[in-house]
Amino acid sequence: MSAPTVTPVTSVFVRLKLSLLRNGLRQSSGRRAAYVASVVVTLLLAALQLIGLIALRGHAHAASVVILLVAVLALGWAVMPLFFPGGDETLDPTRLVMLPLRPRPLVRALLAASLVGIGPLFTLCLLTGSVIAVAHGTMAYVVGVVGVVLALLVCVALARAVAAANIRLLTSRKGRDLAVLSGLVIAVGAQVVNFGAQRLGSSGLGELDPAADVLRWIPPASAIGAADAASEGSYGVALLQLALTAGVLAALIAVWARHLTRLMTEPDGSTLQAATDTAVRQSTGLARLLPAGRTGTAMERGLRYIWRDPKTKAAWVTSLAIGLIVPVFNAVQGTGSIYFACFAAGMLGILMYNQFGQDTSAFWMVAMTISSTRDAYVELRARALALLLITLPYATLVTVLTAALLDDWPRLPDALGLSFALLGAMLATGAWTSARFPYSIPQEGYKNVAPGQVGLAWISIFGGMVAAALLCAPFIALTIWLNVSANGEDWRWLLLPVGAAYGAGITALGLRLAAPQTAARLPEILTAVSKG
Amino acid sequence: MTSAVVVRGLWKRFGQQIAVAGIDLELPAGKFIGLVGPNGAGKTTTLSMVTGLLRPDQGSVEVVGHDVWRDPVEVKARIGVLPEGLRLFERLSGRELLAYSGRLRGLPGAEVDKRATQLLDVLDLAGAQHKLVVDYSTGMRKKIGLAAALLHNPEVLFLDEPFEGVDPVSAQTIRGVLERYTASGATVVFSSHVMELVESLCDWVAVMAAGRIRAHGPLIEVRGAAPSLQQAFLELVGAHGRDAGSDLDWLGGGAR
Repeated sequence: MSAPTVTPVTSVFVRLKLSLLRNGLRQSSGRRAAYVASVVVTLLLAALQLIGLIALRGHAHAASVVILLVAVLALGWAVMPLFFPGGDETLDPTRLVMLPLRPRPLVRALLAASLVGIGPLFTLCLLTGSVIAVAHGTMAYVVGVVGVVLALLVCVALARAVAAANIRLLTSRKGRDLAVLSGLVIAVGAQVVNFGAQRLGSSGLGELDPAADVLRWIPPASAIGAADAASEGSYGVALLQLALTAGVLAALIAVWARHLTRLMTEPDGSTLQAATDTAVRQSTGLARLLPAGRTGTAMERGLRYIWRDPKTKAAWVTSLAIGLIVPVFNAVQGTGSIYFACFAAGMLGILMYNQFGQDTSAFWMVAMTISSTRDAYVELRARALALLLITLPYATLVTVLTAALLDDWPRLPDALGLSFALLGAMLATGAWTSARFPYSIPQEGYKNVAPGQVGLAWISIFGGMVAAALLCAPFIALTIWLNVSANGEDWRWLLLPVGAAYGAGITALGLRLAAPQTAARLPEILTAVSKG
Repeated sequence: MTSAVVVRGLWKRFGQQIAVAGIDLELPAGKFIGLVGPNGAGKTTTLSMVTGLLRPDQGSVEVVGHDVWRDPVEVKARIGVLPEGLRLFERLSGRELLAYSGRLRGLPGAEVDKRATQLLDVLDLAGAQHKLVVDYSTGMRKKIGLAAALLHNPEVLFLDEPFEGVDPVSAQTIRGVLERYTASGATVVFSSHVMELVESLCDWVAVMAAGRIRAHGPLIEVRGAAPSLQQAFLELVGAHGRDAGSDLDWLGGGAR
């Protein structure tokens, strides 16, 4: 009667995946360019690492390197679905609930569809390169080919199993909040990799061997370990490692299939979560310490959002972390200067930018209560004050810490003064660009700019930062002059109060200039921040 | 009869598309007023311009005798708004949102807290007052939005699709609050495309289609001889007599 039951599900899913990939090209020109660029970059990277791995062939520690690489790659596959839940629509079981599908063919079809894509292609290149790097002899290549297939399947099945097991978390609001913070994990991960690479650079690849000796028994790295073992003639070990990989693959698929069946037959987590979440929130008493009226009210909301809004939280943690890491790490490594401590002020000052974009379209609630320039001024001042409440002590702390690490106390007043002046300039330009060049921050996903507003965001942030640097120029000139002139050191302490006063003055001026812009442009700001 | 809202020659274009094509409208004070029309008729655009959230290309809007664009101090204190499609500060709890909203409008803190407690009670939100608004259901969001719009006791209340996606129980609660509010002489202007609702609630309606006002006046006049507002509306927007014809003749029981 109906044709679809005759068509194998697997081919339907693979074709669906292919059309989704193709449809990446059928978007607006900007997105299409980004899509094509990301594909080209990934392919280039895949080719480059393939060449790199082939070049590694014959190196004493080649096996350790590739085993570690495959292990890291597998870790990436395991973590990816937690941070990119919307990444692959064909694999979202909640979209398939209404279709009459049996678990076994469904798992087969989904597994086949997961193998189509840029990620699997990249993985395939890396695995192939790894085998070429370690395999010597026909037997090793035979084992290698089997190993590559098994390893690839383990990676894909791992990602699916993790996603299916955590779908309840991923479809809830808390899960989506978590996803927004993933950028931080990646940034911190990059720091760790960077640190590791530096250590390897100084003490050689031999450092990897102990780790690789363990990892070569853990799938999917064990599949590559098998190729290495076969090269050395240890066929028994190779077979054991392959069998281990195959066993884990079977286990992963079983886990995945079980979760999938349960997901397709039970209500999805998004509704359950909302019904059971009865966390009681009480006022923290914070409000009583803040000034009354709009100032305290706006400050309180701003401070609450730092903790509660994932996008705001991510921005703050990034700024706080980079503002601390750059000066302190450099100081520890002995390459720093106390002036690097200004990074803290600069990074936190960025948070003043696009204030109303951070409100999203909820800005209408603010717009409805601003009916004069005075209202706009108080609103902007409250936001600056909320920022200063954290920024001022933090920038001071970072500067003092850097001075202590470098033992450069004489320059502390300069650096503090410069930090304060820079902070003031950032707040001033931030307030002004917030009014003049607002843009939307999409609440879902990882983008911090809505499509079509990238130019606006660049003007806002980079124009503002250049302007802030120019505004600081007189103070920087004064600092340099006092540092090079003959009796300058006697007067250096003056830079602290002068810098503080300069920063305060510029902030006040910036707020004064931004307030009429804000009050006059309320509907335009609302339109700009309501996109996406 | 005094007017709560006077709109003259209001226009708005978005690129090539004309959203609102020259509206003239006088809404009487103290009435429950419905702005009805199909999706895309320009209801939201009109309400946004009337409340000062969107700048019109042309035309003027007066609310309780004050120009919305020249005299925002007088207007913003006198109106309450519940827009459609715009967020709230959702990472605040319901109570915090009301406290924020009321204090931002310059009401004394103790008064805000007192009114918030009563509104939360009446709107059946007391149990969820400490939950973040982001975790609220659609009906709860509409109710907390309504509470925020009522907190400063406005003279005119503008509600864009206040019953959209709201369950019958919440809808009845909202209805009760609004009826009590208009009975005291305040004006409610709300948009909807659900005719039965407008018919049962409003005593004055304006019918919009394709960016223009097709009819306006007391409900009885607009409905005229038609058996229901729905019928009158379909005739006004010219959607009458359209039927499915002989297409889809395979649909239904019988041979599959």
